[in-house]
Amino acid sequence: MATFSFVQPSTTDEALAALRLGEPGETMIVAGGTDVLFGLEGRRIPLKRVVSLRHLPWKTLSWAGESLRIGSTLPLRTLERDPDLRRRIPGLWQAVRAVGSVALRHRATLGGNLVRSSPASDLIPILLALDSEVDIIGMEGERSLPVDQFVRASRTTALGSGELIRSVAIPEARASAFLWQRVRPANDISQVGVAVAYSPSRKGWRIAVGGVVPRPVLLPQAERLLSGPFPGAAELRAAAQEASMRVPFATDRRATEEYRRQLVATLLQRAVRAAGSHPSSPGVP
Amino acid sequence: MTASPARLTVNAVPVDLTPVPVDERLLDTVRWRLGLKGTKDGCRTGDCGACTVLIDGRSVLSCLTLTHEFAGASVTTVEGLEGDPTAARVRAAFEMEGALQCGYCTPGFVVALTSLLKELGAEASAEELTEDLGGNLCRCTGYTAIVRAVRRVHEEMP
Amino acid sequence: MTFTVRPDADAKLRGQVAFATDLSVPGMLWGALVPAPVARGRIRSIDLGPARAIDGAVAIGPADLARWLPSAIGDAERPVFPTDRIQYHSQPLAAVAAPTRELARRAARAVRVDVEPLPPIEEIEGFDPAHPGPDHPEVIAHVLARHGDLDAAFGSADFVLSETYRTAGVCQVALEPHACIAEIRGEVWHVTTSTQTPFGTREDLASMLGLPEERIVVEGTWVGGGFGGKGAPLVEPYALLLARASDRPVCLALSYREEFQLGRTSLPSIVRIESAVKGGRITGRRAHWRLDAGASLPGRDFTTGYAIGFILGPYRIPAIEMEGYAFRTNKPPLGPHRAPMAPQCVFAEESHMDHLAARLGVDPVAFRRSHVWKEGDRTHLGQKVGPFGLDRCLERAGALAATWRKDAAPNTGVAMGVGFWSTVTGAGGEARLVLSPTELKIIEGEREIGSGSVIRGIVAVAETVLGISRDRVRVDYHDTRSAPFDSGVFGSRTLAALGQAVQKAALVLRDELGKRLSVPADSVRLTEENGELVAVSGRHRALIRSLLTETELAAGGLTSEGRHYGTSGEIDTARIVEGTFYPYTDFTGAAHVAMVKVDPETGAVRVMRYAAFQDAGKIVDLPTAQGSIEGGVAMGLGTALTEETTWAEDGHLSNAGLLDYRIPTLGEIPPIEVHFEEGFSGAGPYGAKGLGEPPIIPVPATVGNAIFAASGAAMTEIPMTPERVARALKLL
Repeated sequence: MATFSFVQPSTTDEALAALRLGEPGETMIVAGGTDVLFGLEGRRIPLKRVVSLRHLPWKTLSWAGESLRIGSTLPLRTLERDPDLRRRIPGLWQAVRAVGSVALRHRATLGGNLVRSSPASDLIPILLALDSEVDIIGMEGERSLPVDQFVRASRTTALGSGELIRSVAIPEARASAFLWQRVRPANDISQVGVAVAYSPSRKGWRIAVGGVVPRPVLLPQAERLLSGPFPGAAELRAAAQEASMRVPFATDRRATEEYRRQLVATLLQRAVRAAGSHPSSPGVP
Repeated sequence: MTASPARLTVNAVPVDLTPVPVDERLLDTVRWRLGLKGTKDGCRTGDCGACTVLIDGRSVLSCLTLTHEFAGASVTTVEGLEGDPTAARVRAAFEMEGALQCGYCTPGFVVALTSLLKELGAEASAEELTEDLGGNLCRCTGYTAIVRAVRRVHEEMP
Repeated sequence: MTFTVRPDADAKLRGQVAFATDLSVPGMLWGALVPAPVARGRIRSIDLGPARAIDGAVAIGPADLARWLPSAIGDAERPVFPTDRIQYHSQPLAAVAAPTRELARRAARAVRVDVEPLPPIEEIEGFDPAHPGPDHPEVIAHVLARHGDLDAAFGSADFVLSETYRTAGVCQVALEPHACIAEIRGEVWHVTTSTQTPFGTREDLASMLGLPEERIVVEGTWVGGGFGGKGAPLVEPYALLLARASDRPVCLALSYREEFQLGRTSLPSIVRIESAVKGGRITGRRAHWRLDAGASLPGRDFTTGYAIGFILGPYRIPAIEMEGYAFRTNKPPLGPHRAPMAPQCVFAEESHMDHLAARLGVDPVAFRRSHVWKEGDRTHLGQKVGPFGLDRCLERAGALAATWRKDAAPNTGVAMGVGFWSTVTGAGGEARLVLSPTELKIIEGEREIGSGSVIRGIVAVAETVLGISRDRVRVDYHDTRSAPFDSGVFGSRTLAALGQAVQKAALVLRDELGKRLSVPADSVRLTEENGELVAVSGRHRALIRSLLTETELAAGGLTSEGRHYGTSGEIDTARIVEGTFYPYTDFTGAAHVAMVKVDPETGAVRVMRYAAFQDAGKIVDLPTAQGSIEGGVAMGLGTALTEETTWAEDGHLSNAGLLDYRIPTLGEIPPIEVHFEEGFSGAGPYGAKGLGEPPIIPVPATVGNAIFAASGAAMTEIPMTPERVARALKLL
């Protein structure tokens, strides 16, 4: 039965206006919509309205020199198929490929994944390792937040009511990798995801881990143990050890805490080696 | 603002969305409102691929799609692929390789593979095609015949 | 044998085949079930009032059932609705129907259920099974058999290897959920449903509802996968009762969540196996099996008494003991899952074989071949072994394994496992053929379930007998009123048992044609000419039309019937101490080889190559046989690596969905080589053996043994998830 209305704004102003209709909690905002059906059941506040962002002109992808800006409603499949992405930011390409199936990625979006803010997200760790920024627009204007400050916990972010993510900015292309482990390689939730990226401007590594409560995290202490784009085995082991001790893992039905620690130590070393040897790495001619 | 109610095109036939409740899934619209039962009702959670349809030529999971989200778009179900030459090649390859048993997942595979062949075009390798079919589950065939069928379609691509 | 396209392929590829989930009839209501909110408890009250207040909704509970059908509540093991105690989480306590699916769901949620919860009983270990305490599960089946001098064997052994194995519950996961449409037509309770066994379903419904069988009609639809899950009624009784209550047709389709929660799946088990070894030979073997049977066992202790037959392996061992217990827990009733519990028993037994061979430092293939049964040997229960191709499969598999081992990279292992099965040819059936001037019809009650055993298997038998072209043979599906009786599509029996009935009926037809042509029957073949069937024998040719009488033509053709009611083998009852054991009816062996790669730091396993050598008697239709093996192996890989039902402390199934219950996806399945070993004849037509279940049986053991070969980690629990392998590798 029709219990709510469907609103499809086609401009930013219309979208922001639509968000202000009704009482808080009555409106559901849908980007790709792949999570929407789950949101319909078991709600405390009856749903009155769905605002679909599908018609907004935000399905964009633009490279400017080394930087990349991705519209929040761009389907992940389009991002994955960008002719430059795999070569220039391999870790992001790998992370996007890790999300769901092709049919899901034809609809799922970066903006939706960020707002869902799952601790097991395959995209948030690489966005963290790439020092990505979330561009937010609201009635009071625009603001920009590092992903690290944006995501807080499952379904909890810094996004205010009346605000939308317009795009995600990645400041520079980086030699990078995203490795994950699952019980079943495809169509499963990652037990652990490790994203690493080497920043040519900062001359240092960024390491982020997913499969963590309450949210994916950066690991600055482990990053500092890696001296250059080609860390030696001892440095890698030290960083892996540091990471596996530092991360706030928990035991759940997908993995135990101790297994996650083992995984992060292994995947971190492999990811750094993979990123360092990728053609996009500064050290590879 | 795009106003709802609106229209949807399903297999080139316009469908008035006025009587469609806003929380109705595209899966139920095509199956129960339009009687297009070739789109199969499997898990309804986006995990099996049996309900795959094309929206503007791209494969999507109709069980995770609210019909009104795609007002103005063009939906193609397995029935709408009757005259499609790519789909015809897919069907022929599945027949020749015995890539179906109970048939419940089969329309989803036909739609998904047809979409992939069009999306990836001549550049795709058989390995990419099979990897990208990972969202479609089959319990009977063990996939081995499906992989053979994908290779056959790939080899016979014009 | 030429390759043929399945006759159902085109319609299935175009989405034109209607499954039970696709059907609707005018005026139909949608049904929904009211789930028990706890796994164990006492029902205080069920208030259907709020559901009935919803416009157009009807609701029924145990009180209605008692009023309408007083004799229906007889089966306390599997009641339609429990009246007093809740047996498992989500057990249907009441049912509702309403004009839309959404309204039906709302009505189901509106039913007020008041229960007194009790702590669920889930654990089947940690106590003496012969004397379970008050907080332990009740024993619902116990079997024990012994033979030979076990004390001498264990007393004089060079060494004894004793191991414990654990296996998880696995679900059938046919992609089509259970669905049916029920309608009361006068005195007749009619149900159109997705079932592997129309006649078995009719019989079960009659006993569940307390109605005579004549008043129940079951009409089979195309089945979107069965694997044992559609062999007994599940949705049908509720749909029929709702149809009775509403006087309208009622469609009841399970959600996929309910499919997991209510499905009659396999459940966890624990196998303890120990072998005494002297002079390189197994001189004694004991196996002790504990099976979680959930709320009840199918067919009393059938599962226990049957599956336990696989637990000691197909090997000559002079002294044996096998003992099995089935326990009642607060889980859904145990059900048959492709080769019920055999892959689990064989996982323990065949892993144990490789561990014994490793301990002895001998080649696992040679070790098996020196013990394996051959025709004429006696089984552990004294049954004489019939034609059995396992040794030959072992020989060929061993040769392939040796070749693969040469290619094995670091962290890669090659190993094998064997299994055997006993086709359920004892379950009988009848076939009716109708030869019209233009086609041959096979009248059947059960629809094709996917494997091809009906639409290709039994059709191929008729083709072979009559020499008729396959596009002139059609399976004509009837409901249980007019179809000949058959036991159904299960137990790998369709071709092997029903095929014999078809073969007999076809021979009767051929004899009759021979008589009418005045030629020897075995010289008669059917060909076609201008769309008409022609009987040919040497230079004799006659249109079928010309050979039929007026009466036959008016009746649609010449009818013939064939019956097959098989017999089972004999076991030595002196070896049975307690319970019922079942003899084998056909000995069907298989030897599998796997090459796996084990990640030494994460425990992740990748199956690189796989080969199955299958003792098949006689292949009747090659693509169908091959598809069955490929599908069975893939399903077995799921059992081996990823599939597992997980039960929360409160007794609910915590992974009731296709994301968290992980069946294999396309990318995990390696190339599967299929090799058939013909010549060791089975009881089926032309010596065919059933192939539905045999291919799944050796898979978990084969993969476990390959992990052992790759890494030295002895796996004792399935599924062998990355974390379990990591633990076996002592990474954690």
